[in-house]
Amino acid sequence: MTSASRTTEGSSIAHARWGSSVPWASRLQPQNLLWLLLAAILVVLILAPMSTLVIASFTDAQTGNWTLSNYAEAYGRARHVTALTNTLKMGAAVVALKLLFGVPLAWACTRTDMPGKNLVRYGVFGAFIMPPYLGGVGWILLAGPNTGWINRAWFWLTGATEPLVNVFTFWGLVLVTAIGGFFLVFVFVSSAFEMINSEMEDAANILGAGPVKTALKITFPLVLPAILGSALLSFLGAIALYGVPALIAIPARFPVVVIQLSEFFSFPLRVEVAAAYSVPLLLITVGLLGLQRLILRRKGYTSLTGKGGERRLVKLGRWRWAMFAYCFAVVALAVLLPFVVLLLAAFNRSWTAGFSIDNFTLRNFHYALFEHSSSQHALVASVGIGIAAATLAILLALCIAYIVQRRVLPFGQVLAFLAVSPYVIPGIVLAIGFYAAYALPPLALYGTYTILVLAVATRFLPIAFTTAVAGMRSIHPEMEDAVRILGGGRLSVIRSVVGPLLKRTLAGGWLLIFVLAAQELSTAIFLVGPNTRVVSVVLLDLSEEGRMEVLAALGTLLLLMIVAVVAIGVRYLGRDFMLRRS
Amino acid sequence: MIGRLTLAAFISAAFISHTSAETNYTPNEQALYEAAKSEGSVTWYVSQYNTENADTICSLFSERYPGVACNPVRSTGQVAFQRIQQELQAGALQADVFSTNEDSQVLQLKGAGQLLKYVPENLQHVVPRIREMGDPDGYWVASGVSPVVILYNTKLVPEEEAPRNWTDLYDPKWKSQVAIGHPSFSGAVGVWATAINDLYGWEFFEKLEQNQPHISRSILDAQNLVGTGERKISIASLSVALQDMHLSGAPTAMVAPTDGMVMPVSVTSVLDAAQRPNAGKLLQEFLLSVEVSEYLASIYRYPLRPEVEVPKGSISLDEPNLIFIPAQEALDKSMEIQGNFRDTFGI
Repeated sequence: MTSASRTTEGSSIAHARWGSSVPWASRLQPQNLLWLLLAAILVVLILAPMSTLVIASFTDAQTGNWTLSNYAEAYGRARHVTALTNTLKMGAAVVALKLLFGVPLAWACTRTDMPGKNLVRYGVFGAFIMPPYLGGVGWILLAGPNTGWINRAWFWLTGATEPLVNVFTFWGLVLVTAIGGFFLVFVFVSSAFEMINSEMEDAANILGAGPVKTALKITFPLVLPAILGSALLSFLGAIALYGVPALIAIPARFPVVVIQLSEFFSFPLRVEVAAAYSVPLLLITVGLLGLQRLILRRKGYTSLTGKGGERRLVKLGRWRWAMFAYCFAVVALAVLLPFVVLLLAAFNRSWTAGFSIDNFTLRNFHYALFEHSSSQHALVASVGIGIAAATLAILLALCIAYIVQRRVLPFGQVLAFLAVSPYVIPGIVLAIGFYAAYALPPLALYGTYTILVLAVATRFLPIAFTTAVAGMRSIHPEMEDAVRILGGGRLSVIRSVVGPLLKRTLAGGWLLIFVLAAQELSTAIFLVGPNTRVVSVVLLDLSEEGRMEVLAALGTLLLLMIVAVVAIGVRYLGRDFMLRRS
Repeated sequence: MIGRLTLAAFISAAFISHTSAETNYTPNEQALYEAAKSEGSVTWYVSQYNTENADTICSLFSERYPGVACNPVRSTGQVAFQRIQQELQAGALQADVFSTNEDSQVLQLKGAGQLLKYVPENLQHVVPRIREMGDPDGYWVASGVSPVVILYNTKLVPEEEAPRNWTDLYDPKWKSQVAIGHPSFSGAVGVWATAINDLYGWEFFEKLEQNQPHISRSILDAQNLVGTGERKISIASLSVALQDMHLSGAPTAMVAPTDGMVMPVSVTSVLDAAQRPNAGKLLQEFLLSVEVSEYLASIYRYPLRPEVEVPKGSISLDEPNLIFIPAQEALDKSMEIQGNFRDTFGI
C-alpha cells in the first residue's frame, strides 16, 4: 500500500493519470513485471560494481573490517588532494570552453541564416568522430614546444627561440579535452533550439522585445535544460577521461584524478584506496545533479506538443560571415588542424621531416594492417564492441527513461540517478568495479568481450538515458494517453507512439554511443585481456613507444571504419541526423 | 601384438627423426613442443622489447614451433606487472611468460610463490656473464642487457657540447631540453632512478626538476623525443638507441656517462599459475636460442649466445663503468623512489 500511495503522490503532481483506487494486485500485470525486470537489470548492471566499490572504500584490505583508513591514505597526501582540485579546475575550464564552442555553433546552425551550416555541422561531427587521444596526438604534433608545426612556423617567421604555444600545459590539456567533447553540447543544444517554434519568439516581438531581448528572455531560457544537461555531461566526461591526461597531463606535470588512480592501481594494488579516492567524485555528481534540478525546478520546458508550429530563422545580416568565421575557427581547432597533421604523419616516414615526395610512404598503413600483432584484430574488436554496447545501452535507456518520465514505478528518480551515475565514475574505476563484480569466478568474465561490452554500455548509459529522457520530455503524454484511452497497453504506447516519435532521437543516440564506444579507452584499459585488445589501447601503447607515424595510420583506419558505420546508420535514417530539416 | 607395438614405435620414431631432421629439436625441446602443441598457444607479457621486436620474436617462435601460437602483449614494465597482479588477484591469470627490465618485479613474484621453477636447457649455452645475472634458484633467466646512457640530438647539439655525465642533466643550459621516463611506468627508468639516488642522493632529482624535464611514461618515448628534435637530450636504453640510429636513421648519438652506465637486467620467467606452462617454458627456451640471438644482433641488441657476434656499438659486459642494482635493493627502494619521484615532479 505504501508503495501504491507514494506512486499516487508522484502521479498527482505529474498528471494525476493513474487513479488512486488501483489495488496492489492489479499492478502486477505482465507489463509491469517486465518493467520491474528491466529495472532489475539496470540495478544489477550499475549497483553491483558501484556498491562493490563503495563497500571496498570502507573495507580494510587485510582484515576485511570496517575502516576509514582508505580515505586517510587516499587524501592524506597533499599531492593527492592537488590532483582532485586540479581535476575540478580542469573540468570547469573544459565546460566553459565547450559551451563557448558548442552553444554559439548550435544556435548559428539551427536558428540563423548563417552560410555554410552543413559545412560547420560536418566539421563538428568530425570533431566528435575523432577520439580525444587522437586529437591529443594531433595537437602534440601541432603544438609540441620545439617541433610542433605551429611553433616551427613561428620560429621560422619571427626568428624567435621561445615557443608560441605549448600543448603540455594546463590550457593545452583543457583545449584538447574540450575539442573532443563539445559535440555533445552542440547536439543537445541544437535539438533544443529545433524544438522551439517561433510563436513564442513572435509573441515577445509583438510585445516589443528586440532580437537580443527575445534571445535572452525567450530562446535561451527555453534551451537552458539542454545547456545545463550538456554542461553536466561535459564536466563529468572531462574529469573521467584517461587518454588525454596520459598523453598530456603527465608531461605537463599537471596531476589529475585519473593519473592518481592509476597510481593506486599499480603495485601494490590498492583498489580500496582507489575506491575511497573516487567516492568524493560521486558526491560531486550528486551535488551537480541537485543543482541542475534546483535550477530547472517548477518550470515548464515542454515545447513539442501534439500541435504544429513554425520556426523561422534569425536574419544575421552583415554578421552572417562573422558568425561563419567563428564557427570555422572552432572547427579548425577541433578537427581540421589536428586531422591534417595526423594524415601527414600517417603518410610520412618521419612526421618531423616535412612535406616531400621522398618522405611519402604507405609503410605505416601496411605495418598497422598486416604486420602489427594486434591492430587488425583490434580494429574489428573496436567496431564490434561499439555496435553491441550502443544497442544494449539504447534499449535499456529507453525503458528506464519511460519508467522515470511517466512514473510507471515508484522510486523512478533513484533509477534516473543510477542511470546517469556511471558517467562520473572515471572509466578506470568503473573498470575495476566491473572487474571486482564480474571478472572473478563464478562469472569469470576477465579477458572476454562480454565484460568489455557490459562495461562500455554501462559507461555510456548516461548518454543513452539523457537522449531518451530529452526525447521523452518533449513528447506530451496526451499522445500516449490517446493510445491508452483507446485500450492500448504500455507496450503498444512504446511501439506506436514513443518508438516512432523518438526513432530519430534514438538512432542519433545510438550513433553517438557507437562512436564513443568504438573509441573507448578509459574503461578498456583495465578490462582488455591479451586477446581482446581494442584499437584505443593499441594506440596508447604506440604513443608510449613514440611510434607517432604508425599511431596516426592506425588511428586513420579506425576513423575510416567508424565513418563507414555512421554512414550506413545515416543512410538507414533516411536523412542525416546531423543535417536536420532546414 | 608385438608387431603392432613395433609398428607404433617405428612410426613414432620415424616421425621424431623426420621432424628432428628438419628442425633439430633436442629431446627435451621435443617433449616441451609436444606438450605445448596441446596447449595451443603462449601469452607473453613483455616490456623488454618494443611491439615490433616482440612481434617478430613471436613469429619466429611460431615458425619454429608450428601449432603453437604466440601472443605478445607489450607494455611498460610496471603496467605489465600491475596487470599480472590484477589477474592473480582475480584468479584469472592470462600471462604465461613475463619479460621485464626490472628484476625486482620477478623477485617480488618469486617471494609470493608465483613463479614456476624452470632451468632452461639452453641456459648452459648462454654467455656466462649474462647467465650469472639470472636467478640462482632457477625461477628466472636474464634475457637481455642494455645499459641506460645519455642520448643527444646531433642536429641540435654539437658533439663537444654534449653532456658527459649524469649531473650534466641538471646543468641550466639544458633547461626545458631534457626528457626522462617515469619510474611508475618504466622498469628501466625505475632501476636508473635507484642507481642515481645511490650515486647522488635525492638532491639530484630536485636539481633536475629545476630544469623542467619532459616526463614521458616509457624510456622509449623519451629517447624518441630526442630523435624528433622535440628535446635535445634524454636518458636512453643503449640498444634501442643503436636500433633507432642504424635502422631508422635517427639523428642521435650516445654518451656513456663517466659516472657510470646504469644496467637494468632484463629477465624472463614463467608464471606458476600459467594456463600454458609448457608453451611458456618453450618460449623461455626459445628466447635463449641462437636463432633469437641472431635476430637480436640484427637489431643491435646484445646477443645472449656467444656464437653470435656482438653488434658494433654495444658495450663490453666487463666494462668497469657499469652500475648494477641488486634486485633485492631495487625491490626495497622501489616504493620510496616512486613516491619521491611523484613528490618531486608532481606527477
